[in-house]
Amino acid sequence: MISIALRTLRHRRAGFAGAFVALLFAAALVTACGMLLETGLRGSVAPERYAGTPVIVAGDQFVRQTKAGGKSKAKPVSERRWIPASIAEEVSRIPGVTKVVTEVTFPFAGFTAHGWESAQLTPFTLAGGRAPNAAGEVVVDARNATAKIPGYRVVGVTAQALPSQDTIFFTTREARRLAGHAGLVTAIGVFPQVDVTVKGALAYTGDERGALEFLDAESARVKLISLGGALGGTSLLVAILVVVGTFALSLQQRQRELAMLRAVAATPRQVRKLIGGEALLVSVAAGLLGSVAGMLVGFWLQARFVALGAMPANLPLVVSPFPALASVAVTLVAAWTAARVSARRITRIRPVEALGEAALPGSRLPWARTVAGVVVLAGGVVLTIVLSSLSTEAAASPVTMLTALVWTIAVALLGPAIARVAAAVPPRAAGAGGYLALKNLRAGTRRLASVITPLALMTAMTCTILFVQTTMGHAGQNEVNAGLKADYVLGPGASAAGVREVPGVRAATEVLRTTARIGLEKFSVQAVTPDGLDRTMDLDVTAGSLAGFGTTSAALSRTAAERLDAGVGDQIELALGDGTPAVVKVAAIYTRGLGFGDLTLSHQLVAAHVDDPRGTVLVSGGDRAALERALPGVTVRAQAEAGEIGTSNAAVNYVAMGLIIAFCAIAVVNTLAMSTSARSRELALLRLVGATRRQILRMLRTETLVATVVAVVIGTGISLVTVTAFSVGMTGSAAPYLPPLTYLAVIAAPAALALIATVIPARFALRVHPTEALGARE
Amino acid sequence: MTEAVRLNAASKVYGKGQSAVAALREVSLGIERGTFAAVMGPSGSGKSTFLHCAAGLDLPSSGSVRLGGTELTGMNETALTELRRQRVGFVFQAFNLVSSLTVIENITLPLCLAGAKVDRAWLAEIVRRVGLEGRTGHRPAQLSGGQQQRVALARALVTRPEVVFGDEPTGALDTMTAREVLVLLREVVSTLGQTVVMVTHDPVAASYADTALFLADGRIVDSMSTPAAEKVAERMTRLGAWK
Repeated sequence: MISIALRTLRHRRAGFAGAFVALLFAAALVTACGMLLETGLRGSVAPERYAGTPVIVAGDQFVRQTKAGGKSKAKPVSERRWIPASIAEEVSRIPGVTKVVTEVTFPFAGFTAHGWESAQLTPFTLAGGRAPNAAGEVVVDARNATAKIPGYRVVGVTAQALPSQDTIFFTTREARRLAGHAGLVTAIGVFPQVDVTVKGALAYTGDERGALEFLDAESARVKLISLGGALGGTSLLVAILVVVGTFALSLQQRQRELAMLRAVAATPRQVRKLIGGEALLVSVAAGLLGSVAGMLVGFWLQARFVALGAMPANLPLVVSPFPALASVAVTLVAAWTAARVSARRITRIRPVEALGEAALPGSRLPWARTVAGVVVLAGGVVLTIVLSSLSTEAAASPVTMLTALVWTIAVALLGPAIARVAAAVPPRAAGAGGYLALKNLRAGTRRLASVITPLALMTAMTCTILFVQTTMGHAGQNEVNAGLKADYVLGPGASAAGVREVPGVRAATEVLRTTARIGLEKFSVQAVTPDGLDRTMDLDVTAGSLAGFGTTSAALSRTAAERLDAGVGDQIELALGDGTPAVVKVAAIYTRGLGFGDLTLSHQLVAAHVDDPRGTVLVSGGDRAALERALPGVTVRAQAEAGEIGTSNAAVNYVAMGLIIAFCAIAVVNTLAMSTSARSRELALLRLVGATRRQILRMLRTETLVATVVAVVIGTGISLVTVTAFSVGMTGSAAPYLPPLTYLAVIAAPAALALIATVIPARFALRVHPTEALGARE
Repeated sequence: MTEAVRLNAASKVYGKGQSAVAALREVSLGIERGTFAAVMGPSGSGKSTFLHCAAGLDLPSSGSVRLGGTELTGMNETALTELRRQRVGFVFQAFNLVSSLTVIENITLPLCLAGAKVDRAWLAEIVRRVGLEGRTGHRPAQLSGGQQQRVALARALVTRPEVVFGDEPTGALDTMTAREVLVLLREVVSTLGQTVVMVTHDPVAASYADTALFLADGRIVDSMSTPAAEKVAERMTRLGAWK
């Protein structure tokens, strides 16, 4: 059987090209996602600053919770957890420890700053000058030998520089003062390598030191797991949908040959085996090539993510054979399944039915397919309802994609029925070409259905991916625009107290952004100075009041309150950004959580628990010139220019999901090109009976246009339902936001692709003399 | 046991209820081994249905069909397929060959599918008989219509089947080429003792057969031994084939 399969493949290269391309792309996507996932699971960052120290003792960067079943879960905190300096003494008493070095780390003027005491952790040595002795002195690293540090005098330059950070050293005492955590340190270096167990801190060795040193790499790693998983899962489903479609189409075109095989001597099993064998051969080739291509895609994705700031440059992509192996395996299974699913119908029909002249594809939907379609449709409804109750982005994002996909699968299954309805709608089309097009559409609803699926998939996926982001952005932006009452926003570095003294300023609010965990769930936090808060922002409080807001107060957004099932007056235990526990009392509930944050806490409570305590300052009153004069070096932006929501997350999604859109686009081109080139006999016949090339092209264009319109309507419908459900869950209102120009571009793209993919193969088919085309039996 | 094919009160009804159409009505007949039978009839007389039922491509709605002594009714699709590839050969009007396989591969396809060994001597014998020597490496697209039909005939013979069925085997050929194929079929019957059943509407084609059976409205209405073309044409005219 395999030898026949191989010969068929060689002979019908064109017919299998479509499936090959689809599988190749699927393998590439799965490999790339696998690389991201593997990096997320096993990736590690090499230590730089701590490279010369065998053991680093530092705070636990995780919030841990033991569930009732005894299973313990841990989630990373976003800010560095400091530990008491007294632990150093305790460590030094451990037998075998010869040296203990304490370190503080804090940002200073774009540098990572420490006290000179910790230079030996790397170790840093002086290349020139001397160590800092007085409070006003500083040592810079080799790369920044000529840098100026505002307010300090550079007295020395080190011989080393670290690849991913610009380091400066103050005196130990000055560093502790600037860091602002009295009695606390960020890390304690321990020499030599001994087992260290102390209360209140953990010992880090090997690459764990790197994870500790680069907390952002650690959080990026965790993000990669979810991103790689979501992207991989989505592309897998899209791949199966596309591959099934392609296989079904190519089998439909070989129906006669397969029926002949059946009549001559092949059992249904043998035909299925033949088709499965062909699929396996194609998928092995596509899987191998695709996984190589996927490695390149993986590196490209990493480069994009690094450029977008979503992934640190020093987190290297883990390269192992596993993603490639997994993708080859997945491609094999997908292709084989797709082939068997598509072969089912063809092998079940009697050879007589297939051989007879009336072997036109029947338009009746097999009942099993109808049942499957209805079940999947019900699944779509359930998912949509679930989606409308999800209020965290982490949960909603993958479900959104899944919902859109499940709806599309339902459309694919019920495609012939939909196509029959759709083909009956257009009443008349101009000219002979239009007349023929409509006749063809009505007669060949199965063909129409197979074309509609990839087009609808592309529209639905593109619309959903884009409009989820615009809906979120729009809702957040609206809240910021409505709630930001300040006239100016001052960049980091200003203090509210200083700003208040500027003439004309009526109110100033310092705002810090961080996160907190309640239980294990993460919430975005804005920490504000409560003085004059009502003049700089309006959170739209619906219950309680912000009056008398203090260090033990909290205000919750409506969605956060729902998630926590908390009301005004309730006590909440939370872990601040660095994991420090705190108990706060809910003072108010507000609606503008998307624009301002899930939780509002007091600046005083939070400031000591973030890595960078310099936030922005919102100012009411005063004028720009006076502010700029009073605060040199601080950026001053007017309210209108300042209220922009960060979009780096959106950009990351666009890059990742863009690949899936590209995949859908390939499926569109694939299907239409296959469908058109398979009709060369029919086109030749039309020409022989007197149709001009123009009429034939017109006929094909009309058919494609009808298919595109139907697909765009279905795809838009799917994404509207999905995005609306997403919007209900995330923003609390059913307000999907579709920028009209973007939408036009989104629907123009598949239409243009579809037309090109129809006309080019048609021109090729028309180039052959009609009598020759007719003579060529298939 | 001298009958290669036996039908007993075989009926075939398509559709159900009001829209039911009977294509074959209680047909009973036997075809002797080593003879060449032509089944004639106007369009819609049930010729194709008769062929499909007799060859095990389809099962009758009621009645029985025996092929070389084996009862077909009650068999499932796989069993039917296995029976077909051992005992039946087919020559269709067109779309006969697998375009990706060469002539010799097309001929041996049924053996390959059955996992049987190729009898080299027999293969050479039939290739010689159908006149395809020197063309065994060609692909179907490189052959003329008549040559393609001869490949199909060789494929039908390669398994030494009980019966070779032809469904308008000369329908797509010009008169001269058709004649060659018919002569070949006749030879196969006369020299190899092969049983051949051919459905046709061409009186000239029928004249090569030993017996002509006439079907009309799903029933056998007449039969003729050593049919001459003119007589067959006359009979067909009376059946309303050429009004």
